[in-house]
Amino acid sequence: MKFIHFSDAHLDSPFLGLSFLPSKSFNQIQKAPMQSLTNIVDLAIKENVDLVLIAGDTFDSFKPNPSAQIFFAREIERLITAKIQVVMILGNHDHMAKEDLLVPENPYFKLLGEGEKVETASYTTKSGFEYDVTGFSYLANHITDDLAAQFPPKSKHYTFGIMHAQERAGLSSQNVYAPFSLSELQNLNYDYFALGHIHLRQVLSETPLIVYPGNIQGRHINETGPKGCYLGTIDEQTKQTKIHFVQTNLISWNKRQLELTKPIAKTELEKMIINCLKAAATTYFCLQIKGANFLHEKEAELIQDSDFWQMISEKLAHGSQLVDVRFINGSKLAVAVNDQKYFKQAEEEIFTTDQFAQISKDWSLKTEFTNNLVQDPDFIQEVKQLAEVKLNSKLKGVNDEIN
Amino acid sequence: MKLIKLKIINFGQFSNFTFDLLNPDINVFYGANEAGKSTIVAFIKQILFGFHLGSHNSPFFENYTPLAQVSPMGGYLLFENEKGQRYELERLYAHGKGSKLGTLTVKCDNQVVPENVFFDQIKNIDGNFYADSFIFNQDMLTKVDQIKQKDLLERIYYLGAADSDKLITVRDDFAKNADSLFKKKGRKLPVNQLLLQIQEQQSKVSDSENEFSVYKELSRDLKKQKELQHNEEEKRLELQRKYDSLEKIEKLVPSYEKLQDLQNQIKTIHFDPEQYQSAQNLALQAETLRKKQQKISEKLNEYSQVKDEDISETKLLQKKPEILQCQAEYHSCLQKEKQIKNEQQQLITLDPNLGKIAALSEEQIIKLQEDFRKLPPKETVINQDKSTKPKQFLLLGGTIFILGLILLFIARAFGLLATGVGIALAVFGYYQQTQMQKSAKVQAERNRRVKEQRFLFEKQYGINPSNLDLNNLINEWRQFQVLSQNLKRNQLRKKELFDLLTPFAVELSQELKQAIDANFSDVLRALDQLTEKIDTDRKRREKQTSLKNNLTENDEELQEVNVKLKMILARAQVNNLNEYREIQKQKLKQDNTKNQISALKSSLQSDLTQLQEFVQDKNSGHKKLQDLATQISLFNENINHLQSKTAEIKVKMENLANSTAVFEERQKLANLKTKLRNLSAEYLANLFTAKWISRALDLASNERFPKMLITAKEYLRLLTNNRYNNIEIGKKITVTRFDGKKLAVEYLSRGTSEQLYFALKLAFVEQIKDQINLPILIDDSFVNFDDQRINEIEKLLQTIAQSNQVLIFTAQRSLVAKLQLQPLTFKKGTEHV
Repeated sequence: MKFIHFSDAHLDSPFLGLSFLPSKSFNQIQKAPMQSLTNIVDLAIKENVDLVLIAGDTFDSFKPNPSAQIFFAREIERLITAKIQVVMILGNHDHMAKEDLLVPENPYFKLLGEGEKVETASYTTKSGFEYDVTGFSYLANHITDDLAAQFPPKSKHYTFGIMHAQERAGLSSQNVYAPFSLSELQNLNYDYFALGHIHLRQVLSETPLIVYPGNIQGRHINETGPKGCYLGTIDEQTKQTKIHFVQTNLISWNKRQLELTKPIAKTELEKMIINCLKAAATTYFCLQIKGANFLHEKEAELIQDSDFWQMISEKLAHGSQLVDVRFINGSKLAVAVNDQKYFKQAEEEIFTTDQFAQISKDWSLKTEFTNNLVQDPDFIQEVKQLAEVKLNSKLKGVNDEIN
Repeated sequence: MKLIKLKIINFGQFSNFTFDLLNPDINVFYGANEAGKSTIVAFIKQILFGFHLGSHNSPFFENYTPLAQVSPMGGYLLFENEKGQRYELERLYAHGKGSKLGTLTVKCDNQVVPENVFFDQIKNIDGNFYADSFIFNQDMLTKVDQIKQKDLLERIYYLGAADSDKLITVRDDFAKNADSLFKKKGRKLPVNQLLLQIQEQQSKVSDSENEFSVYKELSRDLKKQKELQHNEEEKRLELQRKYDSLEKIEKLVPSYEKLQDLQNQIKTIHFDPEQYQSAQNLALQAETLRKKQQKISEKLNEYSQVKDEDISETKLLQKKPEILQCQAEYHSCLQKEKQIKNEQQQLITLDPNLGKIAALSEEQIIKLQEDFRKLPPKETVINQDKSTKPKQFLLLGGTIFILGLILLFIARAFGLLATGVGIALAVFGYYQQTQMQKSAKVQAERNRRVKEQRFLFEKQYGINPSNLDLNNLINEWRQFQVLSQNLKRNQLRKKELFDLLTPFAVELSQELKQAIDANFSDVLRALDQLTEKIDTDRKRREKQTSLKNNLTENDEELQEVNVKLKMILARAQVNNLNEYREIQKQKLKQDNTKNQISALKSSLQSDLTQLQEFVQDKNSGHKKLQDLATQISLFNENINHLQSKTAEIKVKMENLANSTAVFEERQKLANLKTKLRNLSAEYLANLFTAKWISRALDLASNERFPKMLITAKEYLRLLTNNRYNNIEIGKKITVTRFDGKKLAVEYLSRGTSEQLYFALKLAFVEQIKDQINLPILIDDSFVNFDDQRINEIEKLLQTIAQSNQVLIFTAQRSLVAKLQLQPLTFKKGTEHV
């Protein structure tokens, strides 16, 4: 038996931080999630898989653009026509009613666990291999209950679990996506647990297999690397499962670092940047410049301007784009040696997730968006790096002034 | 690190000035105001950390006026560390050369070493740190005076950290920056603005997301419309069915009427098709028989001249064996004749002379013998030329005859002709020969008479009498004669046979009615012909008989058939077959009508009842049909309307499906969010940097405070002349007054706050002495050295001096006296010991 597992298609999702892109590139990235989904469907048909598991957040919103829905329905119909069983759950983004999906009624399409009820569906492949799929769909954007605890014991058939969820961690207020613990899932001992929600591809457990396939198309600089789906092959005799990742994305995101060790002329810097941003396929880059203290204030300003990025992008192959430049503090803080340790300790303290949330709460509690940002480790890291650069340049500036 | 010597080359008002600091603990610089005490403080700080020639602001004490036109400026300091190593720090600046900080040379035990060998030992602190922590003078007082009460408290709190004043300023800058970007209750600040914009955009997005609801609504409507349309179409279909069936009925009316018409035409006709068929067959049979009869009669006519059997012919035929026998004999005669002639020829060939005498008769031969005897052996022979000619004819005739006979078998006409010619020639030859013989005899006699001479002999007999063996010749002649006689007999027999044949041939010729030559082959052939003729005649006779028989049979049969036919016709009550046919035609027509009726009936079967009704009242039926048509057209209109409505919905749905409005609004929102994210990062970076600095100061202070408190308590007690004797640090710093009352820092008087601040500052220096140990420079403007407190102050200085070297700069003689130290004084050009 063969199956495909993917999740977090986020069709029709807008793109953060790309408003400056020329419309051609912007259209390309806008269509990228759809193209990736089409590639997955192509793969399913080419490989003649028996089952496609869609682990939630297929749409970016529970009120998606009809065009996205029509597109999705068409792709699903392709699978149905090929007699490929599709089992889909809804995630925290696309918690809509079944009748809102434009996919027509068909035994080959199953929306599993409507109304947050854990549900099991049983199927038999063309070759007569029997399997179960157990899972649930979101009714609203949060689930605080441990729904994994409601999953039934494994049946005698090959059993798939499917869940859009996040591992329990940190404050209870943050555990709002059907929180589970890894041991809990391992104890269920399903043959394959298909997860969704986390956009970073990861295998949480090898035996039994518990897998996040990641999203199918990176949408911003914190979703780097190849994106796609897992193609699984089950030995029908031994029920052993082998999975391998298949890249289907159109555009990859990548972070590159450039280190400056001395002051540098502008043209030389451009050359270094273009050299640093080489890639074999369309890639959107975030460039981190370490040792930014060697840049003049004016240069620093220029490099962080999107016009400059566009100028660089025009010189990159495959329509790659430079979409972000960040500075990283390259040297030690200019404070008294005796106090270095206190600064280090202070930095560690205030940039913990909890402290970060606490300190920024006036701001973060303003909106859900800021509240989500405050919980995003990447954002915290970004703020931290910026703070480091700022403090050091300020301290240096003070000293430079005096000296 | 103790300062043991300082030498000024040129600095401030000093030039070439040296101080030896003999006391490792406390040294007192004594001089009146403006004597240059501050300049020495500035000198120590600047030799260590660089001259202050920049244009920017500097603390008061460093604002000295350098001597004009003196160069180089600077000097050196000599330190000794705990290990007894001596470090000489020389810093010089010549106008326009090198850094404005001056050029520093560091020597360790008179060896030049890199700067950091020295600075590493004081943890690479900078000038600010040194000024802030180690110099207690009027400048510091002024600075503290300028600090607000609240900030002073904070500064007290952060005294645990190095350079805390500067860091606090930096921190405040960041906090200010943060505040300029976002405030909790702010409205006009950039981040707040963005938050508001996002809120607005979100509501726009929700509005645009109505598209989804609208789409859903539309798709529901579409479903409803389709159902409605379906229902209408069903109803229309029902009506259409009714209409169609009624219309069909109406269309069937002519057929129905025709049916009725046909039914009226139906009559009963008695007609037995079997009988009719029999009559037909019989008529056909009679016809056939009649034709047969005719044919036979025609054939009989052909045989009408057949003769009866002819007996004469039979008799002739019976003679055939006889003729055959004659023929065989005739053939043998011919052969014999040929043989005799051959033998004669042979004899003549053996002796040519014989040929010349062969035809001589017996008398002639005797005469010849006599002649020969009379003759000398030469004589004339009769001209043979003339005698050969008839023989030739005879031969030719015979030959042609034979040829004719042969040809008779091959080609009858030629054969007959040849035979005829042959016979004619033979007869002619024969005649000629007889003639010749007669003339020969005459001529021979004439010759014998004319030529009796030898020549005549030869001429007479043709034989050269010389060399002639006459006896032999006579013998041969005799043989020849015998043969000739045999030949004659044979010819005679031939003639007999021929004569036998001739009358038979005539008879046969009469019988066959054709000319038949009297030769065997013709006769035999004629006989064969006769046989054939007889045979043919017999066969014809037989055929004639059989035809006659047939004719009789046929006639009988015909009679019978006619009788039968007549019987049938009588039964059918018709006079002849034509009448009968007429009846059959009518019957067929009736049958046809019946078939039509049954076909119509079966096609109308299901509708007959309705048709009957319809025909009864045609007008109301037609009206009903029209009503139905009207109804249907109404439904059609309705359906068209529904269809156009459906199409409208579909277009709307399609528009929504193709709409990018939601995406665009969301993208706008995303763009705003990106902006917010970036600006927030900026805001938070400022906010967190401020927090970070605060926290670092906290941490440094918290760690150092408890240790500092032990000494700070003592310093405070001494500085306040026992009014405050304890400092405690819990959540807040509290100070215990002499009367045991604990006061939170914020409730201290300004003066006491300042004293607490100084005590903590001194305690901090004491606290870091293990890492950074440099002389503490104290100005008498800093402490109230009035008499009342002089003891306490001395104690204070002594206490401080235990950890750091203390350099006191005073104008008060009493203090100098109290400390019981040799003061270092300021006199220009003098060297101090």
